[in-house]
Amino acid sequence: MLYLLIVLIGGVLSYFAPWWIIAPVCFILCWWLARKPAHAFWVSAFAAVTLWLGYAVYLQVVTGSGLADNVAAIFTGSMPVLTDMPGIVIVMLVATLVIAPVAGFSGLAGVQMKRLIHPPR
Amino acid sequence: MRFIKHVWPLFVALALIYVFHNSWGVLPPLGKVFSPFQGFLQNSERVADRSDAAVILDGMHDDVTVRYDDNAVPHIFAKNDEDLYFAQGYVIARDRLWQMEFYTLVAAGRLTEVVGQGALEYDRFNRRLGMARSAMAIAQNLKTDSVANRMLTAYAAGVNAYIKQLAYKDLPIAYKLLNYKPEPWSPYKSILMLMNMRNTLNGGSNDYRLTNVLTKYGAEVIADLFPSYPALESPVVPTGTDWGFQPVAAPPVPDQVAALPDSNRLAFQVPSPRPDVGSNNWAVGGSRTVTGLPLLANDPHLQLTLPSIWYQMQLSSPTVNVYGVALPGTPAIIIGFNKDVAWGVTNVGSDVMDFYRIRFRNDSFDEYWHDGQWKPTTMHLETFKLKGGGALLDTLYYTHHGPIIYQEAKSTNYMRGIPAGYAMRWITNETDGADVLTFYYLNRAKDYSDYRKALTYFTAPAQHFIFSSNGGDIAITANGKLPLKWKGQGKYLLDGTLAEHDWQGWIPKDQNPTVRNPPRDFVSSANQFPADTTYPYYLDWKFAHSGRAIRINERLQAMVAATADSLRDLQNDNFNVDARRVLPRLLLSLAMDDSIKRSAEFDVLERWNYMNNADAVGATIFESWLDNLLAGIWADEFPRDERMLYPSLDRTFELINQQPDAKWFDNVNTSDTVETIDDILCESFKLTVAELRERWGDLSADDWAWSRVKNTRIGYLVPNFTAFGRTGIVNGGGSSIVNATSGTHGPSWRMVVQLDTAWPVAYGLYPGGQSGNPGSDYYDNMIDRWANGELDTLLFMKDVDEQSPRLRHHMVLKPKN
Repeated sequence: MLYLLIVLIGGVLSYFAPWWIIAPVCFILCWWLARKPAHAFWVSAFAAVTLWLGYAVYLQVVTGSGLADNVAAIFTGSMPVLTDMPGIVIVMLVATLVIAPVAGFSGLAGVQMKRLIHPPR
Repeated sequence: MRFIKHVWPLFVALALIYVFHNSWGVLPPLGKVFSPFQGFLQNSERVADRSDAAVILDGMHDDVTVRYDDNAVPHIFAKNDEDLYFAQGYVIARDRLWQMEFYTLVAAGRLTEVVGQGALEYDRFNRRLGMARSAMAIAQNLKTDSVANRMLTAYAAGVNAYIKQLAYKDLPIAYKLLNYKPEPWSPYKSILMLMNMRNTLNGGSNDYRLTNVLTKYGAEVIADLFPSYPALESPVVPTGTDWGFQPVAAPPVPDQVAALPDSNRLAFQVPSPRPDVGSNNWAVGGSRTVTGLPLLANDPHLQLTLPSIWYQMQLSSPTVNVYGVALPGTPAIIIGFNKDVAWGVTNVGSDVMDFYRIRFRNDSFDEYWHDGQWKPTTMHLETFKLKGGGALLDTLYYTHHGPIIYQEAKSTNYMRGIPAGYAMRWITNETDGADVLTFYYLNRAKDYSDYRKALTYFTAPAQHFIFSSNGGDIAITANGKLPLKWKGQGKYLLDGTLAEHDWQGWIPKDQNPTVRNPPRDFVSSANQFPADTTYPYYLDWKFAHSGRAIRINERLQAMVAATADSLRDLQNDNFNVDARRVLPRLLLSLAMDDSIKRSAEFDVLERWNYMNNADAVGATIFESWLDNLLAGIWADEFPRDERMLYPSLDRTFELINQQPDAKWFDNVNTSDTVETIDDILCESFKLTVAELRERWGDLSADDWAWSRVKNTRIGYLVPNFTAFGRTGIVNGGGSSIVNATSGTHGPSWRMVVQLDTAWPVAYGLYPGGQSGNPGSDYYDNMIDRWANGELDTLLFMKDVDEQSPRLRHHMVLKPKN
């Protein structure tokens, strides 16, 4: 439920709002729905990653563009180990490293702030 | 404790957002850039995204229809001229916004703002050249010209209408990766674009290098090795053409022609004129063509870049219907054709950049000595904003010549403790004229007299404007402001205290070299001497090497029943005139060395047909050898690291063919032996072969193929973003070849126009694509056809309703109310 709501609401808002809009979405939804801190963290992180990677793959497939490869090459230019990897994989890896902790800690923060204000009995 | 336990995740989350929302060093904001909803993946362009659309924009008078063809070329149909240039700005910005703004940042010396301190020296140099200040003055002057002002203002409004509707996710990818945003456009920025072109084409000088030669060897050696006219030349205006005017008196040559440095040779930082920047154009008269009407061709050679320097488009309104290429950032078509005429440009390259040694009164630099009195300098403070905050200052001083671009740190003989400076007089900083009007009127020209009238508005960089009309005229004019100089003025550094060293006037514009319908029935230019020695004015002592010009004129002289394809074929001509001129003599010397004569490399060179084709191994050996050969002959007397100039290719070839016993062949660094021409040739040849073997392995048809060694590459405008560029393009050519494709420079637009009394047929393409977006199919789609020497048939529409299977979709720009 939580997972689905983050993906849906986060997806719709991400279309219009800045990249970090997923953070308040996770915060609010976890405040409301998350059962435990760990639950909040991991569901938020997975949901956000699903959203970002899903949309990235969608764009890549639909456009058939080589842009991901080129941008990945610009970022990995000085790291030969990474140059053999397909660009979209590197792009997805970076996207995951960005959005997973942002969403995870935002979800965690939602639960913890709720517990601060309404301590569980 | 409980508080911290509950609150820390919030702080971590906020900290992470902060970190990923901002740029760190060279790293762009990773959150913004890698979000698929906002970041660079949004720049992946679907062909389906280009579909019919209506856009409502503020600032227009009437509907404008833009029809896009299968090469993403926009055909703009407007109901009045203001809407036309508004739409041109809008449409170009849609494809090239980042590129055009980037060029203005270069010209204005503002790169530090977007790439950081690494660009500071480059920026500082560009500021000292004074381009931004001059562009501002030109933009101010043009406000009083109603035609130019309306065109530039409408264009800027169109660009701004596009910028205004951009959200972050729509920004061109380079803005995202470099983390900045577009600024509003203005007429001033359109002029900055033109300043860039002035700098590219006129922004080089050998004056101080030649001054160093003069200091070391004297006037006799200069006269011998650096003559004022080449031994082999085929000038733009054919020899024997009657000038048809009474020349005005040129200033007399003063006793002192140079400002010699006081002690050691100067270390100046001005680049040499760029040898790879040049162009070809020619027009063939009706007696030589199948149709009986003229054919015209043009290919400007510039640094090959992505996005491309040119943008194809058709502009149509009730006053004009023209097709060709525009410079992103400036209104009108620069090279193109309409129903009646076609025109093109090549660089003239005469000496329009001179340096004056300034004698300051003291180290406050506020007065300088000129013509017997102290005169005040003007001071300007330049601020360089740095990416990420901070600013640096630089002080600029202007004399009546122009800006002080170089200050010598050490004392001079003039006055102890006071640094000398060099002021620059440069055509680029001329602020009169209205270059854009030349193109405005050429776009609308119907005949020869319209062409001549359009040219009068042009200031710089002087261009050979070639012309043809369906009335049967062909013509070429070296057009632009040319200083009226004494013979040899500005060959060396000049003395800023002497009034007779000033630029003292201009060649009357109607006396610039020009020719219309010459008896040979063709006109052409390839940056060679505009005129032979009968031309009454001094233009320069050196122009581009004559190799391309000689070949073009030979082939045109032999051309009968020409078609557009004959001209396309000539644009791709790979014949090496230099090899024909000098290689037979070179081989004679090589053959005297047994070890060379038995080598496979010698064999290849001997059998080579002088064609710089993509697969030619002979071309690889010859071209590589030429560099070492020049160094072998000249590096001992005129070392480049001592900022000396080598004699020209023409003089070198003359020496090899006519004066093989000249003392210059001896290597003066070996005091115990006297080298002959044979020694130098054999030695440099062996060195070349050794270098080639080391780099490419033993001689083989594949590894030593000319295209492989030359490695033509087209780099992205931000050099670090190599993945957005292309390398290893397979083609022939070379810098002295008609197909002037070197490693980094080449034909940046090729066009052939066949005029007709009914409707013209034209062909063209450039090495890139219409879109400046690396995520678009139209980013580099013309490169392979370009490398193969093909041309696209250009779709020149008669009116907005014309049907063509090549038209893909359209966009209607509608006024807001």
